[in-house]
Amino acid sequence: MASKAIFSTLRRSLTKPHAAAVSRRHHFSTSSAAAATASESYADDSAIVMKGVRISGRPLYLDMQSTTPLDPRVFDAMNASSIYDYGNPHSRTHLYGWEAENAVEAARIQVANLIGASPKEIVFLSGATEANNTVVKGVMHFYKDKKRHVITTQTEHKCVLDSCRHLQQEGFEVTYLPVKTDGLVDLEMLKEAIRPDTGLVSVMAVNNEIGVVQPMEEIGRICKEHKVPFHTDAAQAIGKIPVDVEKWNVSFMSMSGHKIYGPKGVGAMYVRRRPRVRLEPLMNGGGQERGLRSGTLATQQVVGFGVACELAMKEMEYDEKWVKKLQERLLNGVREKLDGVVVNGSLESRYAGNLNLSFAYVEGESLLMGLKEVAVSSGSACTSASLEPSYVLRALGVDEDMAHTSIRFGIGRFTTEEEIDKAVELTVRQVEKLREMSPLYEMVKEGIDIKNIQWSQH
Amino acid sequence: MVAKCQVISLCRSLLRAGRKYPDYNIREYTKRRTLDGFRMNKNLTDPLKAIEAYDEGNAQLEAVQRVLKVYLAYPPKTKNIMELKVQ
Repeated sequence: MASKAIFSTLRRSLTKPHAAAVSRRHHFSTSSAAAATASESYADDSAIVMKGVRISGRPLYLDMQSTTPLDPRVFDAMNASSIYDYGNPHSRTHLYGWEAENAVEAARIQVANLIGASPKEIVFLSGATEANNTVVKGVMHFYKDKKRHVITTQTEHKCVLDSCRHLQQEGFEVTYLPVKTDGLVDLEMLKEAIRPDTGLVSVMAVNNEIGVVQPMEEIGRICKEHKVPFHTDAAQAIGKIPVDVEKWNVSFMSMSGHKIYGPKGVGAMYVRRRPRVRLEPLMNGGGQERGLRSGTLATQQVVGFGVACELAMKEMEYDEKWVKKLQERLLNGVREKLDGVVVNGSLESRYAGNLNLSFAYVEGESLLMGLKEVAVSSGSACTSASLEPSYVLRALGVDEDMAHTSIRFGIGRFTTEEEIDKAVELTVRQVEKLREMSPLYEMVKEGIDIKNIQWSQH
Repeated sequence: MVAKCQVISLCRSLLRAGRKYPDYNIREYTKRRTLDGFRMNKNLTDPLKAIEAYDEGNAQLEAVQRVLKVYLAYPPKTKNIMELKVQ
């Protein structure tokens, strides 16, 4: 951590002083000619200087797992809603409230249709993190007298793992299931892990870092047999793979708006009504959303989320074809020109929009630094600030050196073929450059097995 | 039944409007989605379905024209890498 801080200050001091003058916030600044000249010089150079990095234009956006751009059709719906639906959707005494309520209920139907649920089972909240927290903590707190055990996996998103850790501190027991080398859960191990006092099984549908799709139907069946509520974090799954709460037999599901070209700051939680499962709310207050999530709904965000869900349903087939095509183009392009490229996680059971690659004999941070014109990430956005290799890849049993060199390419609705070609070109160039400098790569070329080298310490 | 010239005119209007998006990705997407959408419905024989598709296209065009005004009011300060290489 300290070394990273030193490194970044060093980098900042090395860049030219005019970097400091450039401000990106001039959109709304009403004042000062200084800001205007700064923005002009910024435009004249046709370069962006930010955090000490100089880029000639806006980078290619290939980070669709962290978040997605807003779809103009969603934006259109939100605009109209934000002008007129300003009433409180929970106000029952006047037209403004009724209108807002209608807008919210329409969105509820749109979300429910996407996942094959009843609108009454949808609870709007701030996002998948809140949904995961509410479910994991809420269920266990509600049934705390009888149920003392939770099962989850090691590759789960941080917010599920952290909620489980929180439960552990309260005295609950948690089993973190290991995954196979392809990232999938071992169903036999899951069966063995279920105990009479197991209160919840939480397995994410599509992994955010490696994109593998878990065998949801099988897990759902096992949970049904053992009568254990099943929760899934489907933030990365809805709108991208077909989701059906009946087929999957989930009791709870978490969803997020900004992963499906919708607005940020809104999400939903599916809570099954039959058989009824109960949970203790995280938020107490006015009792909105069946008392599970108090607080006034953000009508405009909810409307945007609803439209995004409807669009996702309509466009799923079309988008999937396109994303699959681009994924193949990217993978073939990189593999044609480079050796030692490994795809992390199963290729068969995978959402095509996520391609997590490891480049052997290359230092991951240097690669990401060199790829400033491609907006990619080494793993999840939550952990990309640390130099630690991803815990998801470590859970897969990926070697330390390969885990350090992973890059996650996220492909989506708005990605173009030209962007993929450009990304391949830039990645190949950067990897080749780094390998040229690498003594390790030279040794491998000479036929030395680097795993058997005895490194001496100085 | 929708006349052929009406369909072609709608397609052209959508493409023309889509070209104005200042955002590279949205511009390219609108173009691709428009062309693919019209290609997908090329062989519609059922007049009811054809009218339905035509109406949907018109709704899309209206949405593009509405949203475009906002997009044009806030142009990006710098271009996308992909646009720079073309020049």
